[in-house]
This record gives sequence, C-alpha cells and structure tokens, in this order.
Amino acid sequence: MMKKRYIFIWLLVCLLILASGVAVGQKTQNAALAEPVVVSPADKAAIDGFEKQVKSYIELRNKVRANAPKLSKDSTPEQIHAYRTTLENSLRSARPNAKRGEFFRPETADFIRRTLKTEFQGKDRQELRETVFETETQGVVLRVNYPYSQSAELSEMPATLLTKLPQLPKELRYRFVGRNMLLVDRESDVIIDYMPDALP
Amino acid sequence: MRRTQAHYFIFALLITAILFPPAYAQRLTAASAPLRLTLPVKEGSVRFAVIGDTGSGTAQQRDVGDMMIKYHALFPFEFVLMMGDNMYGGEAPQDFEKKFAEPYRALLDNKVKFYATLGNHDQALQVNYENFNMNGKEYYRFKKGNIAFYSLNSNYMDKKQVQWLEDELGRETAEWKVMFFHHPPYSSAKKHGSDGQLREVVEPIFLKYGVDVVLTGHDHVYERMKPQKGIYYFVSGAGGKLRTGDIDRQSGITEKSYDRDLHFMLFEVAGDQMYFQAISRTGETIDSGVINRR
Repeated sequence: MMKKRYIFIWLLVCLLILASGVAVGQKTQNAALAEPVVVSPADKAAIDGFEKQVKSYIELRNKVRANAPKLSKDSTPEQIHAYRTTLENSLRSARPNAKRGEFFRPETADFIRRTLKTEFQGKDRQELRETVFETETQGVVLRVNYPYSQSAELSEMPATLLTKLPQLPKELRYRFVGRNMLLVDRESDVIIDYMPDALP
Repeated sequence: MRRTQAHYFIFALLITAILFPPAYAQRLTAASAPLRLTLPVKEGSVRFAVIGDTGSGTAQQRDVGDMMIKYHALFPFEFVLMMGDNMYGGEAPQDFEKKFAEPYRALLDNKVKFYATLGNHDQALQVNYENFNMNGKEYYRFKKGNIAFYSLNSNYMDKKQVQWLEDELGRETAEWKVMFFHHPPYSSAKKHGSDGQLREVVEPIFLKYGVDVVLTGHDHVYERMKPQKGIYYFVSGAGGKLRTGDIDRQSGITEKSYDRDLHFMLFEVAGDQMYFQAISRTGETIDSGVINRR
C-alpha cells in the first residue's frame, strides 16, 4: 500500500516536471510574441500619451494623403516618385510648426531610454550594438519634417527590441541613426520626431 | 636616371592594374566559362532563379544579368527571387531603370516575373513597384506548384509580422516552405555575419512549422551553410556588389562558399527534390547539389 503511494507521488512529480518543461519550451519558442514588459503606472501613462499623439498624427496624415495621387500595387517609378513627393510636401505643410520632442516627450523618452538600456546591455548584446552602429547613415540630417536621406542605409530594427517598444501603426517606423532614435513616416520617409542620445 | 624613373612608373601602373582592375577589364572577362547546367530540367518542375544585393547599376550587375539571360535559354526559369538591396543610393525613376529594368530587360521581355524583398537600402514604396510583384506589401506569400514562398521584411520584424508569419505557416498546406528575406540568420561573412537577434525570433518559428529552405542576402558573397537544425540556409548577396575575401572559412558553419566574383543561383523543384546551382558572373559553376525534403 505504502509502495503504491510512493509510485503515485513519484509519477505526479514526473508529470509536473514534464509539464513545466513544455511550458518553458513554449515560452522560449514564442519569444517574439511574449507578453509586453511589465510597466509602472507612470510608464503606462507615458505610453498612452505617446499612442494618443501617434493616433492623431495618423488621422492628420490620412487626410493629407488624400491629396496625393493614388498609388496602386503595380505602379510605375514615376507614379511612386509623384506620390512620395506630394505626400512629403503635404505632410510638411500640414505640420508647419512641428518640432522635436512632440512625440518623444520627456516621460516617453525616459521610458524608451530605459527600455533601450535594458535591451542593449550585456555581453550578449554586443552584436546588437554593432549592427546599429555599423549602419552607414552619413548624410542623414536630423531635422523634423524633412525626409531621411534616400542614399543612406536604413538601420535594421532589432526584432527583440520591437516587441518591447510601444507598438506603431503601419504608417510609422522607429529607426536608429547612430545613438539617436527616430520616428519616421514609412512611405514618405519624413522624420516626424527624434530623440537624441537614445542609445546608451 | 630618367629611364629608371620611367621604369618605376610603368611598374607602378602594372601593379595598380593588377590589384585594381578597371571595370571594363572585368567586363571583358565575362562569359569566359562555357555554360554548364547541373540541373535535371525535369518535366513539370518549378524553376526559378535567385539574386541578391543587385541594385548597384554597375557593369558587373549587368554582366550577371547577361549571364542569367544566357542560362535562361538553357533553363527557362519562370521567376526570380530578389534578396533585397534592390536599389542602392537614390530611387528616382531613372534609378529603377538603371539599377533594375535595364540589367534584366531581356528577362522582363520574356515575361519572367521578379519577386522582391526589402533590404536595408530599399525604400518602403518599392512594394508598389509593378515589376517587384510585392502586391503593395512588405511581407507576403505566394505559391508555385508544391512550394510556398514567404518574403519577409527583416528590416522591421515587428510583432504584427511575426504573428502574420505564425498564422500563415499554421495553415500552410504546401509541401515545400521556402523563406526569403535580406538579413541572414546564419552567415560566415566578416562584414555582417549571422544576424543573431533576428535568428532568435524567426528560427523557433521556422523549426515549429517545418521550413525547408531559407534564402538571404546582405553579405556580398555566396554561401551555403551546413544544415542548421535541419534547415538549409543560403546567402546569395553578390548579384550587384562583391566583397572579395570576406568569408571567414573558420566559422564552422559553411558547406560551400565563394567570394571571388559576383553570382546568381538557379533552382529546380521536382517532387521531393530541390536542385540548386550557383553560377558566377563569368558562367563558372561555383556550387551545385540537391536537397531532399524532410
């Protein structure tokens, strides 16, 4: 009787170990879709504020976009050029007083800087730093409302980092230029805002 | 004394010419090797070519284009996968012509379709370009025969894209699953090398859903990796730019590599076999083989 009980307990322990192993395995497999980083109420407020800013930008942008010639999925280079130029100019006219820090407000910038610091620290993240810093961004002038230089390389945004930053709609992108972090309009490449010395 | 100086000058010229051969001299050597096809050309097979990091608009890019056209006559591939960096520098209308349409004109005229992916030198609006067949999307899937091709945007692998990939692969019914994107999860090149942070995110998904082959560019060399956890990885990033001598031959992951000239690749899929052949700018076969589906 006693022996049976021991076997039962032993089996139970084995099952528990197995189940926890599977759970850990699943968590590792879906690293990219992991739950967002736990944030403090103050950080949450900062992120909410940022997302609100982004939302109102998208509303304005989509209004402005209506002025640009339609772009189909099988456009000619001339049509692409015309669309891009019109969108770029219209965005600039629609936000004549745009200035640095409108989106990356101090509280948002603080949260992002801390996130970047965590993500980029440690020996295993050396490669990540190298990837960002080796990007050839000479010729990029950091100026809000003006486009990112077409001849410059684009930094690859680390996939692991993107899961931790506030999510952006498809019209916007984060981008690095050296230690600076940019918020860029995806289609026109107009710099919407930037944060100097974002990377540690 | 003067004669000695002249001798020095000619000697220096000769050395310079050997070390840095001018573009026209390099073009003259093109097509020096006889065409040799290692692919079986089976009836009903899916045939395609692969090029990467092409958009330089240089004479060397045009040489590769010319060689592709010659091989197309022997091996009529239906479409071409582009590994990104489709256009370096500006993207004005004339750049689309010089860096893409002109070098591959004969293929385009022959109704060969090009499917592009975005590299770190490519503007987002390329997805709308008629000849890149991206359907206005930065990441997309298409099917040919028993193969599903997935083009990913490795510049910006955000949550949305990862979720899309998981969803699509979850309902995939094609026998072969081929990924193509710009940054290589595995590479022995010294300039960039393996993209560890990208690999961290995509490799578990590839393994989970049984991806067979991953085609990439970014490093301006040719490399076929030893299978990594059962997946075949290729770097084909020298269709328009070359980084001579960039392969680290001690990396331990290389099966075959080539960094002496530009190249392109040919693929043929017949049932459970995928045949491949990598060809240099001058027509030399630099690698070939067959992958058996798991």
